[in-house]
Amino acid sequence: MHLLNLIRRSAFNLIAPKMTKCGLFLTVPSKISTCGTLRMIYLNKNISKNANENIDLDEWKSVVLSGLEKEAFEKRSPEEEPNIAAIKEYIDMSRRLGKPVPENITEEQLKRLIEYPSVSSRNRYLAFLFSKEMKKNADKEKKKKQQEEREELRKTMENEELIPKSRLFRAIWDSSMDVTYNWKAAQAMSFGQPLIFDMDYNDMSERELQNTVKQMMECEGANRKAVEPFHLYYCNFKEDGPYHKEFLKRYGDAWDNLFVTVTEKSYVELFPRDQIVYLTADSPTVMETFDHNKIYIIGSLVDKTIRKGVSLARAKRLKLATAQLPLERYFNWKTGAKVLTLDQMIMILITLKNTGNWKEALEFVPKRKHEGFLDPSLQQFIHKQKNRKISEQNFKKKLLVEELSKKRLWNGLWEE
Amino acid sequence: MGFFLPKRNWVLQTLTFLPVSAKQNFPAMCRCFTSITSCRWAESTDPKAFHPEIKRKDDNIRKKKAGKDRFPPKPFIAFVAGSSKMRAMDNTNNSVANDSFSPLKIVSPPDTPLSAKEWEKLKEEYHHFKKFEDVMFDSMINHHSPVDVAKSLLVAVAKRDGDVEYSYLVKYLAICVFHKDIGEIYDVYNIMKAKYKSLEASAYSLLIKGLSDSPHWKETLVLLEKVKKVSFHSRQNYGDCIEGALLNQERNLAFELFHELVAEKLTPALTTIKLFFDFCQSVKDDHVKNKCIDILYYLRENQIYPDESLMLSIKQWFESIPGENWKGNLTTMSKSRQCCSCGHLLEDINLNEEEFINVKEKIKRDVIEGTDIFRNTSPQELERFQTFVNKHPPFDVVIDGLNVAKTTLLSPSSKTLLDVVDYLAQKYHRLLVLGRRHMLKNSFQWKKRDMDEMQKKADFFFTDNASKDDPFLLYAAFHSGGHCMMVTRDLLRDHKAVLSDSVTRRLFFKWQRGHQMVVSSYLPGKILTFEDALPYDTIVQTDGNTWHIPYDDNLSNRVSYEIPMKWLCLQKK
Repeated sequence: MHLLNLIRRSAFNLIAPKMTKCGLFLTVPSKISTCGTLRMIYLNKNISKNANENIDLDEWKSVVLSGLEKEAFEKRSPEEEPNIAAIKEYIDMSRRLGKPVPENITEEQLKRLIEYPSVSSRNRYLAFLFSKEMKKNADKEKKKKQQEEREELRKTMENEELIPKSRLFRAIWDSSMDVTYNWKAAQAMSFGQPLIFDMDYNDMSERELQNTVKQMMECEGANRKAVEPFHLYYCNFKEDGPYHKEFLKRYGDAWDNLFVTVTEKSYVELFPRDQIVYLTADSPTVMETFDHNKIYIIGSLVDKTIRKGVSLARAKRLKLATAQLPLERYFNWKTGAKVLTLDQMIMILITLKNTGNWKEALEFVPKRKHEGFLDPSLQQFIHKQKNRKISEQNFKKKLLVEELSKKRLWNGLWEE
Repeated sequence: MGFFLPKRNWVLQTLTFLPVSAKQNFPAMCRCFTSITSCRWAESTDPKAFHPEIKRKDDNIRKKKAGKDRFPPKPFIAFVAGSSKMRAMDNTNNSVANDSFSPLKIVSPPDTPLSAKEWEKLKEEYHHFKKFEDVMFDSMINHHSPVDVAKSLLVAVAKRDGDVEYSYLVKYLAICVFHKDIGEIYDVYNIMKAKYKSLEASAYSLLIKGLSDSPHWKETLVLLEKVKKVSFHSRQNYGDCIEGALLNQERNLAFELFHELVAEKLTPALTTIKLFFDFCQSVKDDHVKNKCIDILYYLRENQIYPDESLMLSIKQWFESIPGENWKGNLTTMSKSRQCCSCGHLLEDINLNEEEFINVKEKIKRDVIEGTDIFRNTSPQELERFQTFVNKHPPFDVVIDGLNVAKTTLLSPSSKTLLDVVDYLAQKYHRLLVLGRRHMLKNSFQWKKRDMDEMQKKADFFFTDNASKDDPFLLYAAFHSGGHCMMVTRDLLRDHKAVLSDSVTRRLFFKWQRGHQMVVSSYLPGKILTFEDALPYDTIVQTDGNTWHIPYDDNLSNRVSYEIPMKWLCLQKK
């Protein structure tokens, strides 16, 4: 036995790299006997060379196949189309490989999956569903934990005697907060400065549209909570269009009670053209200050694939003034597009409206995109470089004005 | 990295000889260190990152110094294979590749099979991994461990769990396929068939790859059909099936598979094409010969260039055709249209009438107007441009004014443009310079005197500052006809990408190669050289008795907007 092993091992070393024929080394099946403990002692002394003597390398096949006979094969319901069943099976197998695919998939999602035209797009969709599922499960677990904690709290509370405390106010509930916000929003509807969302972007993919609507909801919420809200207009809004459907899906009955003006008309019909400023990152002009008499437009567009100059083209067509935020002036820009999300935009505008302080307003630009605020001295330096001529002219003007005012003063003094 | 090494040594030396008193210099030293390792934190300590203006000035000073040292500038080459790679090497900021900390590098697989108990022990050593077996199998695949080692781990798993997970089976299969252990592959295949109703893509492709050169190769066709049912076909799977068919002398089946692959709009791998030429050598069958010639025509139609190994196979195949006596030479082409080795005239690069009109229309539709005409220009401007072009007789050269003017920072923009216009005016009759309105304002960069002088020698068209000038450049060149050249360094990739269909893109690229002149190097008052357009088309071509096939050598990394420079010239004696 030992001899055979020796011969086999030496032969093994010769033929191993070639491996042309299988079944050359028919191993003698033998169970690891009690000398295993002995071998373990050897192992501890780092003599593991002899360890492969008694390993039966083909044992796993018999184990797997014997396991097969035991388990009965579950069959899918025959009602399903063979194609869909096969794809479900396929997803199941991918999950076993540890790929990011969801555990459960609905018929609707399956149909959408089949519509995707390539492997990569399908995999991306599956990964998206997977992450959604993971989030759901995590949320469920969190809720369970919270419930348990609450139960414990209640038990401890029950043990203590509750003494009624005297209070000045009763607890402020969310509903009363809502009422206050709504009053303010209603006030804004009648006296507030208009802020327009241009809803005329119809060539978005479904996912982009969903993101847009989600961001618009964030905007509306942020605006409602502001000290002095804008009067929001949703212009070019098509009744029963894709936007409308998505809004109804998300807001439900609340859609009709929103304090915003939704209109099919264009902003050009509602307001004088010279007051309108279209905000777009591609604009050649930079916004210096926030003007309370102007009407700003934000294009409600999410472009995952950056489509340059779409909103600028729209403004050009209608001959409107455009402006971009002075991001380069205030930031040392690091990475990422200078296109901000809708909710970031509205937060910046609200802060500008209420304080007029750029530094405070631009806090809402994501921190990952820049390397901090530029310090004023350097800012002036760059500014000077850019606008040296303008500043020189202004300086001369200032001198003139000062001289004139001095003259006037003297004249006035003399006259007196 | 290599650039920084001497610096680092220098820093080390200085540090070792640092007297204790030089404490103030220490932060500066540290800064040197941080700039060596490019991490974000280091970027923020870099004073230049804070002062973009200063940075630009620095660069200017450096460039000026370079000018004083009279280093001729590196020539700009547009379409030669590998030139963009060279440019990228020049432009990189010596960044250090960060070594990712991968578990696969920590775990090294054993080199002999272990028993189940020994595996248990190993597992305890690596207890911080969630799934030790997964990591172990992955590292085995990475290290190309022998099949028996993987097998012993499978045995250990099977003993412990009474079953083997699918993912382990697939990974084990990958190891078997690498070692071409056909018996094992077939066993795993049978187990998978018995155990699962269907598999997923990676297992299918592994099986197809593994079984293709075995007696069971017919199974691969069944597997291929199965893949099509649930997922998309990949060119690799087809390639493996074709290999299996060719190995077993089933040439017709292989050709059928090839046609199927092309019909699926997949581009076959070059190794797959190589197989055909390798396996069809010395065949007296005219049918097979014609099929191989068809493949060459396929390469021609889709502008696919063979690599060096495929080229050698093609050469051998031609030379092995019985009774035809082909002779192959490797050459490079001269600037003329003649082949250096046989003197045969290569195909002309000019588009024919129909193609030219097609590309012209598409450029007007896709590049200038696009989805929204206001994105690039405005209707009024387009009309102004069209009346301008129609009023003038056709131009010989259209110059992208801004692009040419920015070739160097050593002289004002208008001076550079003036030099180029002067040079071209001696050779060509009618010039058109495209620019933007801001060029007309007298400034340091754009001197009125220079502009006035140019106006005598060339026609000018200025677009609005907010418009794009490239589309007009293209349209003006196409409007002037097939003889018109254009001068720009821009590779026009973004405009090519906007074109709606691949055929037009290909034609556009062909036109671009034949009509784009590039200011390859310029030193004010000293050097001005142009890279002329190629007179011949770089494409697989034949006239029956000769074949000329451009190919990529193994050295140069060619990108999609470049063309190979080496040729295989085949002649029938």
